[in-house]
Amino acid sequence: MSRLGIFVDRKTLSSAEQLNALIRCRDAAESMDHSVEFIFPGDIKKIPQMDALFIRARTDPMNVTYVASRTASSSGIPVIDDPSSIQICSDKINMYCHLKKHGVAIPPTEFLSKKEVSPSAIRDLFERMGSPLVLKEPSTSFSLRVEKVRDASEFQRVARRFIRMSDWIVVQGFVESRYDWRIGVLGGEMIYACMYTIPSDTFKIQDSVNGHVVYCGVESIPPGDVPGEVIRLGIDAANAIGDGLYGVDIKNSNGDACVIEVNDNPSLEGGEDSLYPQVYEKIISYLLER
Amino acid sequence: MSAVLSRESIHLVERDDTVHVVAEEYFYKTESYYTILSHEIHGIPVAPGSSAVLDAYIVPLCLERAGSAGIPVTDCTISHSCAQYPAVLYGLNYFASSSEYTVVRDSARGKETVRHITNNGKYPLCYQRLAEGEYIEGHVAIFGKSCPEDDDICGYARSLYEVFGIPLVTMVFVRGEDGARLSSLAPTRYSSLSNAEKTLLRAYITHQEFL
Repeated sequence: MSRLGIFVDRKTLSSAEQLNALIRCRDAAESMDHSVEFIFPGDIKKIPQMDALFIRARTDPMNVTYVASRTASSSGIPVIDDPSSIQICSDKINMYCHLKKHGVAIPPTEFLSKKEVSPSAIRDLFERMGSPLVLKEPSTSFSLRVEKVRDASEFQRVARRFIRMSDWIVVQGFVESRYDWRIGVLGGEMIYACMYTIPSDTFKIQDSVNGHVVYCGVESIPPGDVPGEVIRLGIDAANAIGDGLYGVDIKNSNGDACVIEVNDNPSLEGGEDSLYPQVYEKIISYLLER
Repeated sequence: MSAVLSRESIHLVERDDTVHVVAEEYFYKTESYYTILSHEIHGIPVAPGSSAVLDAYIVPLCLERAGSAGIPVTDCTISHSCAQYPAVLYGLNYFASSSEYTVVRDSARGKETVRHITNNGKYPLCYQRLAEGEYIEGHVAIFGKSCPEDDDICGYARSLYEVFGIPLVTMVFVRGEDGARLSSLAPTRYSSLSNAEKTLLRAYITHQEFL
């Protein structure tokens, strides 16, 4: 019997869906004869007593999840998400650099530093990349700081806001699509696939429309119904980051599949894996039985 | 090479086949951080490394790595509250900076400070217990060299440079009867450097440190 630590915080426990997913994970581990301990930020010193750590709280190099991950890693304990994956995936500049370096298809993407934001640079970007453009603050999650801009004044207004949070921002060509594929990859293999249907009144998977938060629809898709090129691209993108657990978002408009982002710590509470009942068993085997 | 130490200026110094990035600070998502990252992505040896600067500015990780290198460090507890005073308190969240610490002597003031640092309990903090009479002191280290009279501090500066590779850093220590223990590493404004420190840093930037 091995001990699996599941790192959580107050926010993880604040939603019924997250709690339900945690219980499924614990049940899967116990059915495999492993014990489970939920570890909160104040219990970080317990991590070296575990045999593996599974982080189920929002990861970022600037928060306590990174301390948990580094603590596990420096103690030689298998961990999802590992520190390198957190560092890369939490920062879209870093993530797109890795994808470009490995030749993974992404939309036309450039980085703009705060020193470079000028009317002529913006004009040049629109001329080269077309309109609309998508601006991203590098550490955004759930599309919170992702904005579509159509002209120079809009660009400048959004860029000014994002540059307060990061010295570099992402400028990307807009890819039209009504849904994103999400390919779940673990250790270089697909473990689930689903579709996120984008709400009709936005281009993001989550947005605030007229003061109301709208969410994407989630539909788990059987492997036979996922285009082969989407699966291959998802695996290539994950491999460009590391060999942990990732959720790769892909747009496949007109048959030209491209990666929108690679997420560490992918959501599993929205029904993403409902046609893949073995997902938690695979994660636990990966952590404890390799 | 220009050695003008203007605010936010970044200097790239090539020594021993490695590009050393000299900056006032190395926070996540800053120009200096992305300068380091660009070199790493292109396979160019660079110091400090991007993961080293993340570790250096996150207090519990900084102390873990420094302690493993034999440098005396303070005991650090991660919590949503502080159990013992007096103590040094650091935030542990997206908005926190290792350059911002608060020394709290009593629980009355502590409660208010904890509420502020944790954003009403939303984020954890880390605290380091202080014994009576202990106080905080800071020393600048430039490429592992520090100017104080204390030989121990000079030795710690060398060791910390070996661990993190940060060319310009402020070492924050808790000073007590038994000597100094590391509390954190913090960024350093060029404007806060003494004349001797500015001269040393300029010498490194212009490759004249041997003079």
